[in-house]
Amino acid sequence: MFKLLKKISGRKKKGKSIQSNNTLDEQKNKRDQSISQNIDDNIDFIKSIYQFPDNRDVKFREFKVGGSNKRVAIIFISSITDVRTIEDSSIRPLLENKEPNLDIKGIISTQNVTIFPNMKDVVSNINTGNAVIFLEDDSNAYVFECANFQGRAVEKAENEVIIKGSKEALTEKVVVNLSLIRKRIKNEALMAESVTISERSQNEIYILYVRNLADDQLVDNIKNRLKNLDVDSIQNLALLEQYIEERRMSLFPSLLYSERPDRAAAFLEDGHVVLLMDNSPDALILPATFWSFFHTPEDHYLRFVFGNFARIIRIVAMFITIFISAIYVAVTSFHSEMIPADLLLAIAGSREKVPFPVFFEIILMEAAFELIREAGLRVPNPMGPTIGIVGALVLGQAAVEANIISPIVIIVVALSGLTSFTISDISLQFALRIIRFLFIAAAGIFGIFGMTALFVMGIFYLVSLKSFGVPFLAPMSPHYVSSGDTIFRRVITNENFRPGYLKPDDLKKKGDGATK
Amino acid sequence: MKQTEGKIGIREYTAIIMLSVGTKLTDDTPTVLFNSAKNSAWISLILIALLSIVPIWFLVKVFSVHQDKNLHDLNVYLFGKVLGHIISVGMLAFGFSALVLDSAIYVDIISSMYFTKTPSIAIYVVLVIVCGYGAKRGLQHIGSTAWLTLFYLKITLLFALAFAFYKGNTKLIFPLWGPGYWEIVKTAGSKMSIFADFYYLGIIAPMIDSFKSFKKGAFVAFAVVVPEILLALMIYVMLFDFTSIEVISYPFHEMILYISIGFLTNVETFFLPFWLVAAFVRFAFYFYLVLILFGAIFKIKEYEYLVPVISILVIFLGVFPKSAAFTIPGLREWMLTILSPMFFLLPCFMWLIAKVRGDFKNETSAQKN
Repeated sequence: MFKLLKKISGRKKKGKSIQSNNTLDEQKNKRDQSISQNIDDNIDFIKSIYQFPDNRDVKFREFKVGGSNKRVAIIFISSITDVRTIEDSSIRPLLENKEPNLDIKGIISTQNVTIFPNMKDVVSNINTGNAVIFLEDDSNAYVFECANFQGRAVEKAENEVIIKGSKEALTEKVVVNLSLIRKRIKNEALMAESVTISERSQNEIYILYVRNLADDQLVDNIKNRLKNLDVDSIQNLALLEQYIEERRMSLFPSLLYSERPDRAAAFLEDGHVVLLMDNSPDALILPATFWSFFHTPEDHYLRFVFGNFARIIRIVAMFITIFISAIYVAVTSFHSEMIPADLLLAIAGSREKVPFPVFFEIILMEAAFELIREAGLRVPNPMGPTIGIVGALVLGQAAVEANIISPIVIIVVALSGLTSFTISDISLQFALRIIRFLFIAAAGIFGIFGMTALFVMGIFYLVSLKSFGVPFLAPMSPHYVSSGDTIFRRVITNENFRPGYLKPDDLKKKGDGATK
Repeated sequence: MKQTEGKIGIREYTAIIMLSVGTKLTDDTPTVLFNSAKNSAWISLILIALLSIVPIWFLVKVFSVHQDKNLHDLNVYLFGKVLGHIISVGMLAFGFSALVLDSAIYVDIISSMYFTKTPSIAIYVVLVIVCGYGAKRGLQHIGSTAWLTLFYLKITLLFALAFAFYKGNTKLIFPLWGPGYWEIVKTAGSKMSIFADFYYLGIIAPMIDSFKSFKKGAFVAFAVVVPEILLALMIYVMLFDFTSIEVISYPFHEMILYISIGFLTNVETFFLPFWLVAAFVRFAFYFYLVLILFGAIFKIKEYEYLVPVISILVIFLGVFPKSAAFTIPGLREWMLTILSPMFFLLPCFMWLIAKVRGDFKNETSAQKN
């Protein structure tokens, strides 16, 4: 029967295939040729590829070298190169050269000069901001690095704010990000391999890991996954995350997205793999467990007691944000005997004039809160404070005075909204916000029984999740050797294991204190 | 580090047993004991525990030389193809009835004690959906869930028992021998199958990461569960006295109705979610056992597809009796009585046959592996 159903559903899917020109292949074929001896041919070819006069920022500089009187052409895209470098280290030395024998490598004074025999590489180098030199009667092209993409400087972290510890955040330039991470791990074993993942836009991704810590299999697995991508363009890590994760429909994230270089470095030192990319002011850390979304780097920067206090606050906040609205619904509509008599009278009194059932009241207010939140996020800066005032006054005070909402519901919803901000990871925050509505629905239908049923199902689901082979709730269950950093952390000198679920090459982490 | 795909560690395994056997103190099992042994039910429990060690020990002994076989394989291997299959099918029948009867009782508890207005079939459907989902996810995930929640469940249980202890009257335990020695022994003999779960553990024996964990886990869980139930039985008597304890169907739930914590006078709803989690885990595990045993006997590799069928069967059979509160405890008591001699004798026979066959000669070499 299932086969029949499959057949029926399969048949429907077969529609007309979409007609499309494969312009990418055309483009590829065009540039796949070797460099000619004739410099004019080469220049004409590049001009035709870049549609020269129309493409305004592609620059050609032709002149004769002083000594040997040979023709030279320098080609680059001015918007992504450092024009100063080109002038100082190639054009001027070439013009002022007096030697009869022309040796390009000896004249250009940049850090490296590479020789390429075919046009494909030449074009891709020009596209990545390097300059190319063609020489008369030479079938090689000389390429030197002078890329200078514009971007912002290193700024303060804005989404993962901490009080104690480094304030730097990653930026959109991958070179800067690499430098920020290398600043923290000064070790030759820190690898930064690069893979080009997209065909059209040639987006490049950096895979960072510490060679003698990270598990080779894990690194290979990630590399393979990246190589298997067959896409035109992936602009940044936020998009890449959705391409490489295992469960695309899942509520829970399986890769950790962080804007803090110190966090990335800490994970690297534990044997994780970090992905960096141009245009992404963040790092993608994998594999990720539930705990990595729940933690902040400050938990470790603060002293043992303070860090754990923060953790307690956060886990309580997490429970409040998921459960408080649902509990209010369940208790008031199914288990009112649970509430002490005075409080029950207070609730009943405040609800006296409200015409809606509790369930509807809570849903209304939660939806209003989500609206304020989304609006507050999208509102242009100068209008920001207005939204707060309008939201708080109109939707809160006025709704109560109009007897649409009881004041206790305002407290409950405000609490559940406020506490959701304690989770700094945006993906987990979204997950919790959605789960909250599921719990409210469960509580509305079956009270505490429905909530518990949903909770147990959620745990069953949560323990079955995996991120690159690592169970989502490891090392708590299934158990692995680790420094036990889950809900609570240990004293720093006792955190002397790397997480066992990563199968790191070196499990033991040295961490003895100065005093015993 | 040692984690291998599809196998569970000792933590998860022990947690499953502790939850699935431990929750028995919260349903009508105590009532079954109180019925005949009156206020000395706890003494008969001690007897049951002592008696149960024998079959468990024999079972572990047999598994020590057949570490890669599950209970069904072992039945076929030891008793021959025909008898082995008959025994396994019998086990399946009992396992399935336990799933149906116990879940029917839990549904009855929920609908009669907490959700009097909700139709019990709705409660049943939710219960079975959750447990079926867990069973489909597999043993690893049931185990992980059990381990993650175990600590909180036991803590709340301890709280409930502690508060009840302060409310109770210690003198009510006396007369110590209640209805007389003979009654106590008789109860112990006929109701010892409350620990028959341990026999069913053989089904998942090859799915535990090592034989050592299997053995240690079973005994650790046994050592935790027995005092727990013992304590509960004593506290029930102290709280209700033996005359009323026979009439109360679900003493645990009556008990949490009795206690109050500070300004909270009605705390039963506070304990409800914790008890429910334990119940869900327990039935997910029973469900899984039935599934895997069914799959093993009838050679069905992809037994996950049986989940919807078994779910529907459980719901219909469970809802079928007209007045669950009266018929099902009777059926359950009857089942416990039949199962008791089987639970005691089967492992002994298994051990005996294995001994006659000479399986234990390789024991030393097998244990080294």
